Amino acid sequence: MDRKVTLAHGDGGELAHKLIQQIFVSAFGNQSESRFDATFLSLSSGKIAVTTDSFVVNPLFFPGGDIGKIAVSGTINDLSVAGAVPYCLTVGFIIEEGFPLADLRKVVKSLAVEAEKAGVQVVAGDTKVVEKGGADGLYINTTGIGLQREESTIDPSRIASGDAVLISGPIGDHGIAILAARGELGLMTDLESDCAPLNHMIDAVILGGVDVKMMRDPTRGGVATTLVELAEDFDAIIELEEEKLPIRDQVRGASDLLGFDPLYLANEGKVLFIVSESDRQKTLELLHQFPEGRDAAVIGRVTGKGVGQLLLETPLGSKRRLHRLSGMMLPRIC
Amino acid sequence: MRKAVSVIVRGRVQGVGFRPYVYQLSKQLGLSGTVQNNMDGVHIVWEGENAAIEKAIARLSTEKPRLARIDYISSKSVAVNQRTGFRIIESDRDGKSALVIPVDAAVCDDCLDEMRDPHNPRYRYPFINCTQCGPRYTIIEGLPYDRPFTSMKQFQMCSRCRNEYTNPMNRRHHAQPTACASCGPELSLLSMNGQTTAKGEEALILAVQALEAGKIVAVKGIGGYHLACDASNLQSVERLRARKQRPSKPLAIMAPLEHVRRIAVLSREEEALLTSPAAPIVLLNKSAAFSEYLPELIAPGMQTIGAMLPYLPLHHLLFDDGAYSYLVMTSANPSGLPMLYKDQQAVDYLSGIADLVLTHNREIVNPIDDSVVRVSSHAPLFLRRARGYVPDPIQSLENVDGIVALGGQLKNTFSLGRNHQIFVGPHLGDLSDVRSLDHYEKTLSHLLKWMGVTFQTIALDTHPLYSYREITGKWPLPMVQVQHHHAHMVSCMAENGLSEPCLGIILDGTGYGTDGAIWGFEVLYGNAGQCRRLGHLRYTPLPGGDRAVREPWRNAAAMLVALLGDSGEKLAEQLFPEKREALPIIFRMAEKQINSPLAGTCGRLFDAISAILGLCRVSTYDGEAAVRLSEAMDPCGKPVAAYPYEIRKKEKLEEADFSVMLKQIAEDRLSGLPSELLIRRFHETLVSALARMADLAAAQYPKSKRRIVLSGGSINNPYLSSRLYDRLVDHGFTVYTHHLLPSGDGGLSLGQIIIAAQWIKS
Ligand SMILES: [Fe+3]
Ligand SMILES: [Mg+2]
Ligand SMILES: [Zn+2]
Ligand SMILES: [Zn+2]
Repeated sequence: MDRKVTLAHGDGGELAHKLIQQIFVSAFGNQSESRFDATFLSLSSGKIAVTTDSFVVNPLFFPGGDIGKIAVSGTINDLSVAGAVPYCLTVGFIIEEGFPLADLRKVVKSLAVEAEKAGVQVVAGDTKVVEKGGADGLYINTTGIGLQREESTIDPSRIASGDAVLISGPIGDHGIAILAARGELGLMTDLESDCAPLNHMIDAVILGGVDVKMMRDPTRGGVATTLVELAEDFDAIIELEEEKLPIRDQVRGASDLLGFDPLYLANEGKVLFIVSESDRQKTLELLHQFPEGRDAAVIGRVTGKGVGQLLLETPLGSKRRLHRLSGMMLPRIC
Repeated sequence: MRKAVSVIVRGRVQGVGFRPYVYQLSKQLGLSGTVQNNMDGVHIVWEGENAAIEKAIARLSTEKPRLARIDYISSKSVAVNQRTGFRIIESDRDGKSALVIPVDAAVCDDCLDEMRDPHNPRYRYPFINCTQCGPRYTIIEGLPYDRPFTSMKQFQMCSRCRNEYTNPMNRRHHAQPTACASCGPELSLLSMNGQTTAKGEEALILAVQALEAGKIVAVKGIGGYHLACDASNLQSVERLRARKQRPSKPLAIMAPLEHVRRIAVLSREEEALLTSPAAPIVLLNKSAAFSEYLPELIAPGMQTIGAMLPYLPLHHLLFDDGAYSYLVMTSANPSGLPMLYKDQQAVDYLSGIADLVLTHNREIVNPIDDSVVRVSSHAPLFLRRARGYVPDPIQSLENVDGIVALGGQLKNTFSLGRNHQIFVGPHLGDLSDVRSLDHYEKTLSHLLKWMGVTFQTIALDTHPLYSYREITGKWPLPMVQVQHHHAHMVSCMAENGLSEPCLGIILDGTGYGTDGAIWGFEVLYGNAGQCRRLGHLRYTPLPGGDRAVREPWRNAAAMLVALLGDSGEKLAEQLFPEKREALPIIFRMAEKQINSPLAGTCGRLFDAISAILGLCRVSTYDGEAAVRLSEAMDPCGKPVAAYPYEIRKKEKLEEADFSVMLKQIAEDRLSGLPSELLIRRFHETLVSALARMADLAAAQYPKSKRRIVLSGGSINNPYLSSRLYDRLVDHGFTVYTHHLLPSGDGGLSLGQIIIAAQWIKS
């Protein structure tokens, strides 16, 4: 077998067949279905959740993960925070001509490992090879199917004044790890991306009897953007306390240096919860039992209903309104 | 010949004893008739001999009371009606509004004399006032200015006070806040858990004892709370700084004039400002004997000291009784937040900072800061226009009716227009905090209501991230977006009555440019209707945006590498050895423009030089780097030559490039040349480059007739502005500067409102 992906790998012929057999089928291990053009799933009755996401990461391999791992965890987490139990995935690959087969194998392997960890099957897949320059290495699309859990309490209309806002762990790890991995800034850090499927941890919280009103995964745009959207969508005033934000020293140091706000850095293995005040402690205890949730913390509260907004209170007592990530770092100090 | 006239007087004529004055004048001249406040100003009807009427009109403006200012007098004949006697009649609340809100004024000498006279009924009464002094703006709830529409309404006048109040011959006639110990406000002393521990005279005595013992006392004044402590007591000052987390920002002091004279060199203008009814904080040059009286920690590293005189009767009592001569009197506010003005807020915020609160029960309706002024060689320069000046209107050549201009982000003031008057609101500071923004909205709607202005147009800055953009959605009105430096320029033009196109040099911190870059070193040509950018400073990246503003070393490093490449990197490594690990990252951010907006601003250039010279690498308060730079210089030093610089034409603009200067300053610094000399050469270079850019601009636009305005925050640097002024005059320019409003963003809204008026017209 060649060491690089060629256009012929994608033409549906012999080479393509080999690629699928040797890399994908062996990794996902469900040959039985491959004789049909579509996969049949037997689902119990109830509501089905579907989500799809395309993954474009630079670099493809970074400390703590790779594009394959993100492609699974991103979709699994989207299903989980919506209150669904992830059931299966489909995966689509768009591969640039010349992409090393060894790398492809690595990505597929890690994708399979994460799917296994999350307890979901990859039930359908697709590959396309595009000409050199037509893509940047490798893109992955995953679609996830889940079943709505009967015990799901998620209902943002119940968000009320006094509710606690929790995060399952330190923020900004992924953003800084990726930036460091790109190497262009010379940023030295041993920080790893947090990317991980969180469905088991979320299961534990829900099955532990916590009345979760809302969950979100703060990926692109970070905790701030996610909470701004949540606040605006559900007419809540949310106040965060800067002091309470769990932030690793490496993230804090790098953010200081680069002038980034960790609240706007991407996370790939974190979940935000809104629970009633009485469930705050229980939620924390349940989260703390998981390695991904060891540093879970209460970071703020819902302080009112009305025109939705996110506020940040600093240790010096100032309180400012946060907005979506704007991409503009324009100074205002005159 | 017997005649009757109806006279309208406009200006600062209400709440300043104008009606009693007219009453007395009329009696003296044997005129009968009436005087009345209405929404239009003061309305007088005089009947009597023609000659006496003419005399009365002439004397109106020459003998007016201390606080009065007359902008306009009109008179027209009316029918003779056999009027007898002269009467002051009740305010008329109807009519067209050209009404002025009176400003707060320092206690007058007459009241002080009474307060110190053991036989006077108001002996040691801390709230003594009259028509010529006392609170005004800060206690007003509605207009016209009358006791029932002030926070004095809760105090029922005793019969003596009432008699004075109603007697037209008394100097307290219609003194709305008049009071005495038996009927008026009283002091109380609060512990930091909010308990009242003493009242009246006892509260005062205990507060004085606490100050003498080195304690920190929060003192409620006219527009808010001060934190006071004995300024000569080093431990007290250290404690105050530690508790307030304010390591080095200069603290304002208060002292009687004879003591101010010991610690500062006073010019006649400065003394006149200190003793004026507005009683602002005046920035004064420290005297040689300063350190004999006060610790360096009051204003570390500064040649200047901000001082004000006691301006409330209460302040005088604190000094009369206390064994100290100087008090620190710094605003008790959490920085960046609205003024504290209620006891509960004060106690909540100040526990852990103050030891006691000396307060009183005259409610502050409209909080306001102390004003800060500096006398430059040609005019008083406002650094903060607030108490004593706000909300005195500024006359406009344009009709600005119904326009509201929102100002800037920091040092914010807004302006609102009514006919040809512009009301510039109080200094509201930084709008980043949601509570500041809320306070901003409230203050704005308050003033709108008082003025009877329905606003129809909003003028605002083009900066996409200014906080007030969060609330403009509530006002579905036409919005005029004004470029920051255009507003600065027109603000200075408006103050100086200029409307024809002229030139402008705007030296500023950061403003949003039309190309998306940060501007602040601009040579402009135009007027309210149009504005052309003719020249600017070569852009360099600001790594980390606002962070580079707060940490000038970043900006210095980025400037060095952007302008000088590898040799700049080496210089930065030598200049900032403690940043060895961070520097490579800053260099790459700058090179790749990651999170690094481009900027060409005077403020950031000053910051960079300040960091290179080791004066301020990380700033602990707004503008510190530039302040330290100008303070580190001997203004009387010998003239020096400019560093080499280049001005080149690029994309039709003159671009000033100071790469060589930057390199030489860095090298001179590393070779150990005295900073003072380098700073003077730096200033000389800027002045020289700017004068050349002005010459080029004047040649390009002869229609400017070599008239040029100077504006922007960096013009607050007294050395830069006076050198530049003189140089431009030498080059044959007529130079205009600010004298009514700050050069910095505190004056921005005036420019915005004029530009919006022009936009509406065309
Ligand atoms: Fe400005
Ligand atoms: Mg997603
Ligand atoms: Zn008086
Ligand atoms: Zn009385």
